[in-house]
This record gives sequence, structure tokens and C-alpha cells, in this order.
Amino acid sequence: MTSATELPAAAPADHETGTTGLGTSPLRTDALPKALGIYPYAADLWAEGLLWGAVLRSPHPHARIVSVNTAPALAIPGVHAVVTAADLPPGPDGTPDGAPAGTVTADRPVLAAGVVRHHGEPVAAVAADHPDTARLAAASILVEYEVLEPVTDPEAAFHAPPLHPDGNLLRHLPLRTGDPDAVGEIVVEGLYQVGRQDPAPIGAEAGLAVPRPDGGVELHLSSTDPHGDRDRTAACLGIDPDRVRLVVTGVPGASSDREDLSFQVTLALLALRTGRPVKMTLTRAESFQAHTTRHPALLRYRHHADAEGRLVKVEAQILLDGGAYADVSAEALASAVAFSVGPYTCPNVFVDAWAVRTNNPPAGRMRGEGALQTCFAYESQLDQIARQLGVDPVEIRRRNAMATGDPLPTGQAVTCPAPVAALLDALDGAPLPALPLDDPEADWLLPGGPGGAGDPAAVRRGIGYAVGMVHMLGAEGEDEVSTATVRVSGDHATVICAAVDSGQGFATLARQIVQSVLGVSEVYIAPVDSDQSAAGPSARGRHTWVSGGAVERAALMVRHQMLQPIAADFGMSVELLTINDGKITSYDGVLGMPVSEALEGRELWATAQCRPHPTEPLDPETGQGDAFVSIAFCAMRAVVDVDIELGAVRVVDVTVAQDVGRALNPRQIEDRIEGAVAQGVGLALLENLRTEGGVPVNASLTGYRLPTALDTPDVRIAALLEERDVVAPFGAKAVSAVPAVVAPAAVAAAVRAATGLPVGRLPILPEDATVLA
Amino acid sequence: MEHGGNLVNRTIMLPASVDEAVEALAATPGAVPVAGATDLMEAVNAGRLRPAALIGLGRITELRGWRYEDGGTAVLGAGLTHARMDRPDFAALIPALADAARTAGPPQVRNVGTLGGNIATAAPAGDTLPVLAALEATATLARAGAVRDVPVSHLLTGLDPLRPGELLTWVRVPLLHAPQVFLKSSGRSGPARAAASVALVLDPARRGVRCAVGAVAPVPLRPLEAESWVAGCIDWDARGAEGAVLIDPAALVAFGEYVAGACVPEGGAHGEGAGADAARLRRTVAVLARRALGRALK
Ligand SMILES: Cc1cc2nc3c(=O)[nH]c(=O)nc-3n(C[C@H](O)[C@H](O)[C@H](O)COP(=O)(O)OP(=O)(O)OC[C@H]3O[C@@H](n4cnc5c(N)ncnc54)[C@H](O)[C@@H]3O)c2cc1C
Repeated sequence: MTSATELPAAAPADHETGTTGLGTSPLRTDALPKALGIYPYAADLWAEGLLWGAVLRSPHPHARIVSVNTAPALAIPGVHAVVTAADLPPGPDGTPDGAPAGTVTADRPVLAAGVVRHHGEPVAAVAADHPDTARLAAASILVEYEVLEPVTDPEAAFHAPPLHPDGNLLRHLPLRTGDPDAVGEIVVEGLYQVGRQDPAPIGAEAGLAVPRPDGGVELHLSSTDPHGDRDRTAACLGIDPDRVRLVVTGVPGASSDREDLSFQVTLALLALRTGRPVKMTLTRAESFQAHTTRHPALLRYRHHADAEGRLVKVEAQILLDGGAYADVSAEALASAVAFSVGPYTCPNVFVDAWAVRTNNPPAGRMRGEGALQTCFAYESQLDQIARQLGVDPVEIRRRNAMATGDPLPTGQAVTCPAPVAALLDALDGAPLPALPLDDPEADWLLPGGPGGAGDPAAVRRGIGYAVGMVHMLGAEGEDEVSTATVRVSGDHATVICAAVDSGQGFATLARQIVQSVLGVSEVYIAPVDSDQSAAGPSARGRHTWVSGGAVERAALMVRHQMLQPIAADFGMSVELLTINDGKITSYDGVLGMPVSEALEGRELWATAQCRPHPTEPLDPETGQGDAFVSIAFCAMRAVVDVDIELGAVRVVDVTVAQDVGRALNPRQIEDRIEGAVAQGVGLALLENLRTEGGVPVNASLTGYRLPTALDTPDVRIAALLEERDVVAPFGAKAVSAVPAVVAPAAVAAAVRAATGLPVGRLPILPEDATVLA
Repeated sequence: MEHGGNLVNRTIMLPASVDEAVEALAATPGAVPVAGATDLMEAVNAGRLRPAALIGLGRITELRGWRYEDGGTAVLGAGLTHARMDRPDFAALIPALADAARTAGPPQVRNVGTLGGNIATAAPAGDTLPVLAALEATATLARAGAVRDVPVSHLLTGLDPLRPGELLTWVRVPLLHAPQVFLKSSGRSGPARAAASVALVLDPARRGVRCAVGAVAPVPLRPLEAESWVAGCIDWDARGAEGAVLIDPAALVAFGEYVAGACVPEGGAHGEGAGADAARLRRTVAVLARRALGRALK
């Protein structure tokens, strides 16, 4: 470990830079170690005498496993164990079923038993004394497959033979509200398609399992849900959860769930089998096979509007391809349905939505799952209405904008702030980037990039707008809770909370909260493991709310303990004391005591929970119900240049107005928005894990195109609207998902404006942006 | 990095001259030369290649630069990196090769990836390849005790391939002192492999236009008829005159179509892909060829 004095630029302490507490932008806690390359990731872990794990995966998207012969692998010197479904606890009927697990529905085997349902599904795993030996041994396992016809078209899944005992329909959710016979002056229809975006985390899956003397196992993983992962791992292994300990190591990027359950259970099983530590790191190609992707979607929409463009009726059919296993498809479908109209009011809404099982790669959680797909569709529809009526696209959105208190089509009143019109106003006034024509001599980065074939004469500029929404926290009755402990000893505080900082900046936020409440500048955030109280997964913007709320409560309790004796001494109530700049002052100014003095020789601690108000499931017949805790909104303007002869698109600028409730750390919010816009632009133009007959054809970082710095636009923040959500801790809303939801729709609108083409699918390929002469 | 790790036990030789390198190649069965390793390591990591020994070419200083011959030819070392070829002194000599080198991947890759590696890999989307085809470059291949010269296009087509134990040492390119263009379409702004590329060079001394289309077939394609047709459409005598129009704009468009028709057959390049894909590729090639000639004659 490098000592602090060796660092080229030691980070200044927060109190030196004047950046403590909420509303300021202190340096992220992990920024310096990451920049210096000393931040410990799971792939860096090491244990004395460790073995290496490797997985054998199915080469077929759909096949019956006739036999598995592990003898050739076991015969290889250096191989310590080979495991298959038979090594996992048997199913209810006493035969191996691969110990199915899943975040919502337990339908995904750890190791395939009897049948493989997607390409790359794990079938067996090996532990050996060298990674190459392990891979060679895995490859030597003889699996006899009876290849079955894969179901790869989600529309065919309805009538195809069941791919799983649970059937092919993962969920059907209808929504009915209002008058089905209502008609508008104009009707616009559209068919929209969204491809398969992969989270492509910068660090591929990696982990270390260490057997424990009590017969349990300790897992070191970049988990984003340590307690959920512990419980599911224990259940799959058939052991008590107390005997699985999960230690969270540095998370190398997560815009979805990490890690894949099969990975961690297999790792644990190999360690238990061999009695040795086992390390496993996936290659990039395997990583693409192991983790879940965004749901590809097919959306058919019909909007009725009156002559002014006000929505009269929306009808939609939404089909999400869940891939081989259920994962969070049911949840994604709920947000697709509830947000099928977008941040607009419409009295009559009729939607049918399905998530189906296919033999395609499994889909799962990814920023704004469900909400993103519909945003592209309803925003495209609004553009069509605007064009038909000759109304400005911002104006058409303003006329339909939802306001606080308006109902969602699910009947739930949006009681949190819904500043949709204000977001649009903020965009309207934002300056536009210069045009190449204004300054032809400048060195323009044309579509196609530097050294590309771009020709200014063929470049058209387009400006597009989109607004979108996403819910925060678990929905439809899911119990949301987090626990945190704050301890103060002498001049520093410690936060113990199992909320994983997956890169979203929770550790920095927790530090700011404690600084604000207690006036202590030195705040240490304890590493996370599953021995701590549960905080739940890092997803759906939960931790700002539930874990931030728990940290605040615990800190407030400590504050009370700290101030009580002082208040008593002065004969006043605690409420009359304030903490500012590390100093306790009384309302009358008589007292002015440094916090450090009040804490001298004392150790105080408190543990608190935060649990937001409960929600309810959507009605299975009508889609009605109060399913969400809160909703965040975002409006975006995208400016693109399109080479209309080659169909090359460059996003020049994305300007964002976002509803943040309260900006707890403005710089961190801007970083999150930039990252989400980059991901949204990636989906809009580049990212698509293509499959042929269920087999991914571009599962590498050469084939799967992630946006580089040159593909990523300038991101400007027109406004971070701070209208506090009264029920949310600090009044703050989650910020990361909603820009990713809106960016693809905004880019599509801009390409439409530049080319006059319909742009009905994401990603937008060159042929979709080429204007035929 | 575990994969790289297993190379450590094997032999890696670092010869300091071409002679030493070819001797080492001859003396070590299964040895593979390596320059920037940007292609080689990908093959090793993917398990496609497990070289018994590696002969590193990085220390052969003479191959990392270029020299001149007969006044009219540049002799380029196989070890020239893409980053080096992109520098202004080189760009002034062979502009199209510099343009190609500038787009051959991200900076980290171009800093080490070499001309020789690009040719030896002979990937369909290798960016220097259409330029070398348009320039009618020849390669010098050395082995212990023997040296031979082969047109680069023969190397690429497999008509006269690199033989075991042979090292690509030099690439001979004519110095034409006239505009040259390389255009690449990849469908994105960031670094990426070409979906299609066009290299076009003017040879005023011979009143010729030479053009090659990259990435649409396993090897660069030369539309010879289109070249000679368009050479006749150019007002060569007006070259250099202020404001001169060297070609009728309609001829530019026709040239694009001619090139595309010659290089992307109806119904798909080399029999693959649907008709729509082929039509799209033809349009792209037509636009690139038209723009390339337009820029060369500006
Ligand atoms: C991320 C990335 C992006 C890339 N993008 C592009 C791109 O846009 N365009 C493009 O054209 N290429 C691209 N490449 C491919 C690669 O960088 C180029 O082909 C490069 O020119 C290879 O050169 P090298 O020196 O690295 O070759 P190496 O990997 O060292 O060698 C490649 C092969 O050539 C052989 N070889 C090398 N030198 C000689 C020699 N002198 N004599 C005989 N055989 C030899 C080796 O044995 C090996 O088989 C990319 C690669 C990566 C990793």
C-alpha cells in the first residue's frame, strides 16, 4: 500500500477546501485511489494457495443435455474439482435441478440441469492450480447435447412449446383506464424497436471464495446487493445464510446488477469442494455471456389527440424480450406500463404489455428498465403529433405536461413534485451550440470522426427534445428498508452501512450527511460486508433515499446524545442549539463550543432504519394501483449533425434539465448525468448485442461498440430543479437513471429533425439516417 | 493477464538487426515475429495462437524509419508505427498512408501498431492496405540467405504469400508529389474498423488515377476500368491553375457509381448478405469514391 506522503497530489481534506456537508461538491472518496491505480478491485484479490476456477458454457442457445462426462477433466494433472448440477442440492423431486435462483423469480439454475436455455449458460465448472489448466479442463468435459430449435423471436414465444416449466409468459400486464371509444381529431401510429444494450462494465466479473473452518464460505465480490447475494448463495448451496459471508470489494462500474448469481454460487461451491481458496475472473467474452442485458422491446402505439395536440387516448402494445430467465422482467414490465404515456396526462389509456421467455440472452436490470423503452416510443409519437399539427415540439409537450398531483394512467396521483413544464422552460432558454456554417474555418469534428469521410456539404443539423420519467425504489409492494450506524469517537465519525458504493457516490454522500448533521469533518465509511445490517441492492436510486435517510437518522440520534448534556448545562432545549462550521452555537450566541470539545473523550453511536411508505401491486386486470414511492423527471435537448449521405451521426450537444429534488452534491450529480447521457447516446447510436439464432455475434469490445470520448457529446446542465420531495430524506431524488432513459429518445428526435426520416428503432444505424437522393 | 503470463516461460528473442532476426527465425521452429503485438496478443488471448517462441522486432531500429531510393521511391521500414506515419513529415510524403494511419484505431494502439503488422495480418479492414494497393507498393521479404520483392497485392491475395521463416522488412512506395486521399466510413465518430474505405492517388506524371476499395472484400479491390475512364475526364493541364475546374461534377458522381459497381457486386459482397446490405454498401462506396476524387482534385 502506498503511504499518503508518496501520493503525487494528496487530496486536500474537505474542511480545507470548504467542501463539507450537503449541497457542496467534495472530492469523491474513491477518486484518488482510482486515478492512482491503487483502488482494490476483485480481480486483484489473492490468497495463499488459491486455485483458479473456470466455467464450461453451452455452445447452444437451446439443447437437452443428454450426458456430461467429467472424467477427462478430472484426469488432467492440477485439476482439483469438477462440479455440475449434480453437485448442487437436488430439487423437490430429488433429482438435480441446478438449484434455480433469481432476484425476483427463482427460475435460473446455477448450473444447467437437463436443458440449456441460452447460449453461454453455465453447465460445469472446474478448479485447478493454474488458470490455463482450469480452462483447458473445462473445455475437455464431454457434454452430449441434443440440439433443440431455439425460440428467438419474442412474438413466437407465445405459441412455442414451453421453454421452462414456468412457461414462456413471464408476465402479462394490461392497463385500462377511461373510455375505450374515445377518439381524437388526429391519430398517429408507430412501431418502435429497441435493441439489446449490454451494461458492459469496465471490470469484468471476478471474485475470490475462501472456505471457512466452520464449513461455510467467505465470498469476496464486487456485489451490489451483499445480503441478497448472500441469502441466494446460501439457498442454492443448501446451507445456512450465517455460514456465507460476503465481503464487498471495489466495484468496477455497475449500471446494472453485479455479480451474476451463477458465478458466485459456482465459486463458493468450488471452494467448499476443494477446501481451498478459489479465484475466478471472467474474460470479456464470458462476461458478455454471464451478465444480463437490457430488455429488447417491440412497441406498437396509437395516439389520439385533439386539434391542439392534447392527448385524448393512448393505445399501446408492449413486448419485452426477457430472454431465457425471468430475472426482473416483471418489474421492468410494470414500469413500462405505468409510464407508457410518459410525463403527460391522458384520460383514456389502454395498454397490453407482455414479457416473454425466449432462448435469447437473459435480460435483467439496467438503468430505467422498462421506462427507457417506452420513453423512446411515446416521445416519437409526440414528435409525430407535433409534425402533423405543425406545432413546435416543445410546445406540444408543454400542452400535455403532467403537473404535481396529476394521475398516472395507473390511477396513482403523482404527489411528489412533477415540474415537467418548468424543465421544458429551462431547456427552451438554453443557448444552442454554434453551427459549422457560422464558422466554416474552424476544425469541425464532423460525423464520422477525425480522419473520417465527413463532408460539410452533406451535413445536416437536427435538434430534438424529449422528456421522460422513472420511478425510484422498489415498486408494487416491495419492502424497502435500509439500516445504518453512525459512531463518533473523539474527532472523527464512522458510518457503518451495507449500501455499496457501486460508483454512484454513496460513500461521498454518507460522509456529507454526517458532516452536515454532526459538524465532524473527518468521516470514515466502513467497508461493506454481509455481517452488517442489510441495506438492500444498489439500484433504482435506492441508496440516496433509504440509506441516506438511515444515515441521517442515525446521525441525528448521535447529535441529540452529543447536545443533550450541553443543553442541560445551559438550561435550554437541544432544539435551540445549532451546529455550523464545526461549532455548536446557541440561539442567543452565548454558547460557541467547537464540536471537538463537546466530543472530547466521548464515544457515541446510534443505529437507525429508513423505510419509505409502502406501495401496492398493480391490479392484474386493469393495471391500477399506487405502485411507486416517487418519480424523477428529466427533459433533454439533443443537437446532432448527420452526414445524410453516409448516415453517420454525431451528437454535438445534449442539454439537460433535471428534477433532482435537492442537489446534495452538484458535481456528483453532473457526473452522473454525463455518464447516463453517454450510456443513452451509446444505446441510441451504437450499442446492440446482436444475436443470430440466439447466439451473440459481437460479444467483444471490438464488436460491441461502446461510446468513446469522440462519440460522447458535450453535456450541459440547463437546470437542476430543486423542488423538494417532502417525503424523501433531504427532499432529494435519485439522479442516475432518468437521463439514461431520456437521452436515446432525444437523440432519435434530433436525427428525425435532421433527416426527416421516421427513425423507428434503436440503435439508429447508418441506414436509418441516410437520405436517399 | 494470466494469458500473457504463460508466455513468460517461453522464448522471447530481441534481435537488433534484420540479419539477426532472420537467423533467429530460421533457428527456432515455430517462432513468430512480433512488432506492436496489437493483433498478435488478441489472437493469443483468444487462444487462437500459442507461439512456441517470439521474435520481437522492436529493437531493429533500421526498420522503424524510412529511406529514399532512386529519387522517386520511399522505402518504408516494416516497423514504422501508425503514430509515426501520422506525423507531418511523413504525411507530406505519402498523404494517403498518413490518413490511413491516423484512423487505424485508438492512440494507444497506433503508438505501437506497425505497418508490417498491418500487412502481415492482412485483415479485410486493415487501413493501410487499400492505400498500398492504390500505390502499387512492393514488399521486401527476407529470410536467412535470401531476399525477394513481391507486390503487396500478391501478398494479400495469397498469390505469393509470406512463407514460414520470412520477415517483412521493407515496403517500397512511389513518391508521386500529388494529392492523395484515404476515406473511411465506420458509422461512428470514435475509432473503429472500416465498414468501407477508399484510397485514391493521383499520378500526374502518368496522367493516372489509382484507387482501391478496402473492407468490402477479403482484400482491397482495384476498379481498374473506372480508374482509366476517369483519368480521361480530368483536365490534367489545368492542374495548379487558380480556380481551375479539373472535372465535371457529373463525372465525379459517375466515378463513384462506377467504382461501387465494380467493387460491390449486386446481391452482396463475395456472395454474402442480403441485397439490401449490398445496396447500402454500394451507396457508401460510391459516396466515398466521389468524395475522395473531389478532394484530390480540389
Ligand atoms: C483496439 C484495436 C483497434 C484497432 N483498430 C484498427 C483499425 O482501425 N485499423 C486497422 O487497420 N487495424 C486496427 N487494429 C489492428 C492492428 O492494430 C493493426 O493491424 C496493426 O497494424 C498491427 O501491427 P502490430 O505491429 O501490432 O502487429 P503484431 O500484432 O505485432 O503482429 C501481427 C501479425 O503480423 C506478424 N508480423 C508483424 N510484423 C511482421 C514482420 N515485420 N514480418 C512478418 N510478420 C510480421 C506477426 O507475426 C503477427 O502474425 C486495431 C487493433 C486493436 C487492438
